[in-house]
Amino acid sequence: MYSLEKSFRSHPWFRFSAVAALVLIFGAIRLPIESRLNAEYRAAFFHGAQLNLSLRQQIGQTGFLAALGGFRAAVADYLWIQAHIDWTRTEWGKMLLIFNNVTALQPRNLMFWDMSAWHMAYNASAFAMQDTRVPRMALRLKHQHEDFLIGKDLLERGIANNPDRYKLRESLATLLRDKLQDHCAAAVQFAKAAEFPDAPTYEIRFAAYELSWCPGHEREAYNELLRLYNMGEKERLPTLLSRLKSLQESLNIPQSQRINIPENQLPPHH
Amino acid sequence: MTAISIQNLTKVYPIPFRRERIIAVRNLSLDVEPGQVYGLLGPNGSGKSTTMKIVLGLVSPSAGTTRIFGRDSHEVESREEVGFLPENPYFYKFLTGQETLDFYGKICGIRGAKLRERTAELLALVGLEQARDRRLAGYSKGMLQRIGLAQALIQQPRLLVLDEPTAGVDPAGSREIRDLILDFKKRGITVLLCSHLLSQVQEICDRIGILHKGVLVREGRLEDLISIENQTEIILENATPELLAQVNALLTNSGARILAERKPQTTLEDFFLEVTSSKN
Amino acid sequence: MDPAHPEHIFFSPARIRAIAGNTLLELVRLKVFYFLLIFGFLLIGLGAVTPEFNFQEQFQLLKDVSLGAMSIFTWLLAVLATAMLLPKDIEDRTLYTILAKPIPRFEYLLGKLLGVLLLILISTLVMSAVFAIALYGRQQLAISETIRTSAGASADQIQDAIRDIRASTFTYSLIAAVVIIYVKAALFAALTLFISTFASSWIFTIIVTFACYFIGSLQGIAREVWLGSVSTGPLPRIFLAIIALIFPDLQLFNLVDDIVAGNSISMLLFGKTVALGGLYTCIYFLVAYFVFTGKEL
Repeated sequence: MYSLEKSFRSHPWFRFSAVAALVLIFGAIRLPIESRLNAEYRAAFFHGAQLNLSLRQQIGQTGFLAALGGFRAAVADYLWIQAHIDWTRTEWGKMLLIFNNVTALQPRNLMFWDMSAWHMAYNASAFAMQDTRVPRMALRLKHQHEDFLIGKDLLERGIANNPDRYKLRESLATLLRDKLQDHCAAAVQFAKAAEFPDAPTYEIRFAAYELSWCPGHEREAYNELLRLYNMGEKERLPTLLSRLKSLQESLNIPQSQRINIPENQLPPHH
Repeated sequence: MTAISIQNLTKVYPIPFRRERIIAVRNLSLDVEPGQVYGLLGPNGSGKSTTMKIVLGLVSPSAGTTRIFGRDSHEVESREEVGFLPENPYFYKFLTGQETLDFYGKICGIRGAKLRERTAELLALVGLEQARDRRLAGYSKGMLQRIGLAQALIQQPRLLVLDEPTAGVDPAGSREIRDLILDFKKRGITVLLCSHLLSQVQEICDRIGILHKGVLVREGRLEDLISIENQTEIILENATPELLAQVNALLTNSGARILAERKPQTTLEDFFLEVTSSKN
Repeated sequence: MDPAHPEHIFFSPARIRAIAGNTLLELVRLKVFYFLLIFGFLLIGLGAVTPEFNFQEQFQLLKDVSLGAMSIFTWLLAVLATAMLLPKDIEDRTLYTILAKPIPRFEYLLGKLLGVLLLILISTLVMSAVFAIALYGRQQLAISETIRTSAGASADQIQDAIRDIRASTFTYSLIAAVVIIYVKAALFAALTLFISTFASSWIFTIIVTFACYFIGSLQGIAREVWLGSVSTGPLPRIFLAIIALIFPDLQLFNLVDDIVAGNSISMLLFGKTVALGGLYTCIYFLVAYFVFTGKEL
């Protein structure tokens, strides 16, 4: 080591070359390692944020730099607080812009997608229906429907960014069921949500319920509900029993094959 | 084995972006024997500090070698035997006196009870026991010199390199340091001393070397150097005036006892100025 | 050999410890730890600002702000503390008295770096503790609120809800996030040390380090943008190659945002990231040593 130190001290060019060589060799070694690591991150859903030029235009230079500099979450949170304030002022247009930016910054944050969709499909749509500035009911309905679709689109994009999680599929299914009355599509989404190992047990039941409302799939739904019924007491919830009873009648299931469902086990509104 | 051996030492500093260079030390050779107190003198810019730094391994020579007790200066081992007192107190001001000695002791490989014992001993030696727990930022110049001396001695070195040890110190403190150096000499510790206070150097050094513009212009035993060549001093006891006249002619024909025959001395200061001015 | 003088030890952890301990002491006595108070107040203040959000949003804000603040504080600490180390010792000439002792320059430099790393470690641990306490407090609030508002629900459902809350507050990934924050700061401490070995002043060091931070953050993006859209001639490619070879790709250490968003990180991926950060730190230290060892004092 001393001869190395001595050479370094007496020959500055040698020292400079050694430093440059070390930096460049280390650089050359680590480049493939880093690009492999980057690929592994992307496969694990990291680094999915869309930090492109259009985002930069929307959130400004400082925000963009902060986002790049490792403070993406802080920028997203700051924008989210802005959205919250805009919500209190019912500025839906501004909110939507922010929702798009926030989800671009933090595409792996389920809450942003979920709540953005909720704001548009449930809150904005309700406001649209009651918007006295728009006199014609037909126009109000149109705006309301547009808001439903915006919510749906947000959830679909969220699902595309988070294919490994069930939550947004459940939210999408709920939106399809409650707002768009598309029971067939809702059934598909509930079923997909149910495939995840950490999904709650009610997903598969809800899928069956929605399927039972989907024209042309009554038989399929009936078989599924029967399977669930046969799984035991835990599954024999009022709604399931109600749908089962209804399908038994509409499908003309022979009496011998029907399950006896007493009235007191059905939900109150039945 | 010599304590310090400097052979053909040259140090050149290139000036960036210019073709000229500064030659700080030019072909310097000198030896310091063990147990000597050696004074290295020279005006500002003469290469004293550079030489000292090279001996201590802080700077690399452009040519030549320096050795401490046979070991090359650039080897870290050579510094096991060296204690250095810098010109200004280059210590951490946020440490207390005690902590400073502990720190340097640990760097020298001393630990535990041995370290505690050694720091206590040194604080007593330099008279800083009362100020051991005060931060160096609150020390006076004299106190800083003393703690500097203590840290230089922490690993019981065989060689001490002292750069202006009494600069800025009051006469009493100065005298104390001078006495300490003489005490070191008695204990066989070699001392390399750089100083501008020529009267002090005259009091304690055995040998001196004078550097001027990087060149060793004079070197040797102090007594020899500052003697005036063409004069002889005779001290006579019981001499009569008649005898004085006779002595002039025939030295041996007298009843007087020659007690000492010494060359009269000019002051070191005069000699130094004469030598360096003639080189302009 | 004289018994009073032990053999010189070629590599001494004790000497390195002495330098590291002294460096830590210097930084502590500079009262740098007071910034931790700011961190504490920040977290407390946050609670006051966001009462109208739901618990999920509050947890997220708390995590994002805490980890973001930790990230910035540790990084700043790493850069500022390290930038001063060598220039101060050289200017005050304390370096002379230290190197005049039998200590190799390698050990001196390593001790300095370790002292800073120790400082950052202590700060990170304290901030993590404060963060954990704040998060725990929020969690308990959320749980009691849930119990209070779930009067009619079954015990099972309440337990489910509580389990959900617990699962969304403390995750093992948070520990991974803190470790990666530390690793990034350590990398920058070593990089700053390297720059300070040849920089002319500590301001220069800080500016260059900040520039490295930006370039390192943009490196990945620039690479993609350039290689993707623009028809690259040889010159831009060479320029890009040089940037890629010299500067660290800091995006690799920006996993914290994703971790807080709910991504869990596998042990393998975590291990690789930490190892890469550690490697960067070692290489930058080595380069700093090469430059420092030849430095004329």
